[in-house]
Amino acid sequence: MLFNSIGYLIFLPVIVILYYALPYRWRWALLLAGSYFFYILWRVEFVLILMSATLVSYLAALKMGQKAKKKDRKIFLIISIVINLGMLVFFKYLGFFTDIINQFAAITGNKFSIPYYGILLPIGISFYTFQTIGYTLDVYRGVIKPEKNIGIYALFVSFFPLVLAGPIERGRRLIPQFHVKHDFDPQLFTSGLRLILWGMFKKIVIADRLSIFVQPVFSNIAYFHGIEIAIAGVMKMMQVYADFSGYTDIAIGSARLMGFRLSANFNRPFSAQSISDFWHRWHISLTSWLRDYVYFSLPFKYHGKTVSWRLNINLLITFVLVGFWHGPYWNFIIFGFLHGSFMILANITKPVMNNFNRITGLSNSPFLLKTLNITATFLLVCFTGFFFGQHPLRDSFLIIENLTDFSQTGKAILLPLLKNNDLLLSFALIIFMLWFEYLIAMKSFATKFMSKPVALRYSAYLFMLFFILVFGIFSSQKFFYFQF
Amino acid sequence: MNRNKLFFKKLFIFILLILAVNVLLNTAYDRWMYYFRLSRNQDKQFEVYSDTLKYLMLGNSHDRINPAILGNGFCYIMPKEVYTQTYYKLKYILEKTNKKPENILLSIDPVNFCPRAENELAFDGYWRKYLNYFEIARELHDPEYLLNWVTGTFFSYIGNYKYIFMSAIFFNADLHKIKDGYIPARNYRNFANEPDREALGFEIATAYLSSYSNKSMLGETIYYRKILALCQQYKIHLILLRMPMTDEYLKYARKMVDLDKLDRDIMEVTRNHCNDFEIFDFRNEFHNKPWYFFNADHINPEGVRIISKKLKYALEKKAIVK
Repeated sequence: MLFNSIGYLIFLPVIVILYYALPYRWRWALLLAGSYFFYILWRVEFVLILMSATLVSYLAALKMGQKAKKKDRKIFLIISIVINLGMLVFFKYLGFFTDIINQFAAITGNKFSIPYYGILLPIGISFYTFQTIGYTLDVYRGVIKPEKNIGIYALFVSFFPLVLAGPIERGRRLIPQFHVKHDFDPQLFTSGLRLILWGMFKKIVIADRLSIFVQPVFSNIAYFHGIEIAIAGVMKMMQVYADFSGYTDIAIGSARLMGFRLSANFNRPFSAQSISDFWHRWHISLTSWLRDYVYFSLPFKYHGKTVSWRLNINLLITFVLVGFWHGPYWNFIIFGFLHGSFMILANITKPVMNNFNRITGLSNSPFLLKTLNITATFLLVCFTGFFFGQHPLRDSFLIIENLTDFSQTGKAILLPLLKNNDLLLSFALIIFMLWFEYLIAMKSFATKFMSKPVALRYSAYLFMLFFILVFGIFSSQKFFYFQF
Repeated sequence: MNRNKLFFKKLFIFILLILAVNVLLNTAYDRWMYYFRLSRNQDKQFEVYSDTLKYLMLGNSHDRINPAILGNGFCYIMPKEVYTQTYYKLKYILEKTNKKPENILLSIDPVNFCPRAENELAFDGYWRKYLNYFEIARELHDPEYLLNWVTGTFFSYIGNYKYIFMSAIFFNADLHKIKDGYIPARNYRNFANEPDREALGFEIATAYLSSYSNKSMLGETIYYRKILALCQQYKIHLILLRMPMTDEYLKYARKMVDLDKLDRDIMEVTRNHCNDFEIFDFRNEFHNKPWYFFNADHINPEGVRIISKKLKYALEKKAIVK
């Protein structure tokens, strides 16, 4: 079931009404049943994998809870991680590794090749695997106590607003919320509805409209050159943002309707002033997960001293993993590698850049400096976006090759299409989205809005709702991050 | 508790407001949407059509043949019509009216079989009268088709801002120009005068043909086969057409799919399910003649006139046009 489907518009109110109608002690059971129903609609078999991941991490955590010493807990942690990560590797990365081995065999003249049969990727596996691993690591480190109620724990892994594409929640944040009785909170409920509305707007009106232009370019890259690719590159990043942040808003909003507070996943990423800043604002739940469980776990000392080159290598490893998490393609590895490299470069050249800003007087014009930084970061992100997709790696290089080819401008195909009203509408909507999110980020806007007369607020909501209905693309397109 | 009561009261009022606006928009759209008006006008004309029904033209806006030229015919095409809709309309005509056409004209371009065309049931506000959505959902194993009925009945305006604008522009359109169902082809621009014909050809070819996941494998044919079966059952002669396309469209179409292979596959499906048909291929009829087109994949009134005449001649001579 997709968030942007009529099915979900029926499912969600039913669950919310039943949730508040049921006595507190049965609410978790309702949510669990609802979440499994929500998930099972994708494919029945996938539920078995979700259940296995749940059961393994639940039992491992329980066992760890019985051991006082950390070293006694280690074996259960390893078992849980190996099984959960093993399932992820089997379903998501087996083809990739098989391919590497076969290619290596071919290069070295060996005649053997490992057969590979296409395996369907269980939806949401990358998200819930990281959630279960994070939970077992927290129990191992003693940050949280293991959850004894298997139903509550299963709900933590499968909670319908986040099971398909996050945010990747931490046990210590979400599990306690399932143990608390949530009385109906009109304010939280209304804020949830507002978020759902805004998320739907981003997904249905902006992202799905942009995909009409982006998809043909990236599926037929040989026909496009120069400025066309540059425009499509910018639009692609906007599409991915509107799509994924729209999904997250609907997820967080849906959870709020029942009194749950999920983690934020985005914070206006296109206002980032550096790549590092960008990753503090983009898919925050993934980067913070990798920071806490991978980056900080890597060795950063050399001969007893913290050394910057070690930190930089750790950064690179973490970001290659960020890329690889998205999918078993060299594209994503390069995407992560580029982001890691840009950050290392920024770290190394920081003193030089500070001097440069001082000499050129840029440091005396903070607004200009900020604008330059935001623009440079945005362009770098759009550039790396050419590697962000499941297309063959050679296509990524063809994109870059064609990007620099302005000799074909006379034959431009996309530019005439810019006359298309739909595309102009898309640009206007992108500007509106960025401007509106800037307003939302200012706390005073919400306070001012809420102090307006109820008739005005209702009119604004009605306008937004019917704007979505009239200007939306209703072909039930999947969310971009479902492929991960 | 009082706070909650007040909230629910407000929420109730808000929901009522939503419902009221929705009913208003849905009714207005259903009443004034330009295509709905055209199609309902066709319905009315078909109801009172009393001449011999020698030729019945079905399909979408590509398949425009002028019945006034062909003689004793009715043009019952609708924009964006797909085979699923054609099948149910034909079934309705044969079972619920006492009109039985001698020949049915239908186009069989690979674009009609592409997955996107197959999946897209547009204009449900009009089509709900003909379609059995429950049956479609069961046959295609996809309950989402039930939502098409919901959309068509209660929310037919959603996602249709283009048609809302179009309906406003054509609000005062003269529907009397429609004769025997034939809506004159659009003529307010000419493809020959377009400065970016390549781009337009590419855009149209990509829009539908890129939905073929395998460039040489035909999409779903279930409703096409059902149309053939109906024709067999009611002993109706089937006249299959490949309508003219611009060179620019065909250039990109050939890059997107293996047109020749798909054509052969379509013929094979047809031969396997029908033994009373003939085919007329006009696809390259206007090669190097862009002035006969309105856009990359639609002929203009002059193009319609020529093709209709050629078809009439071919039908009289029973010669296959190549």
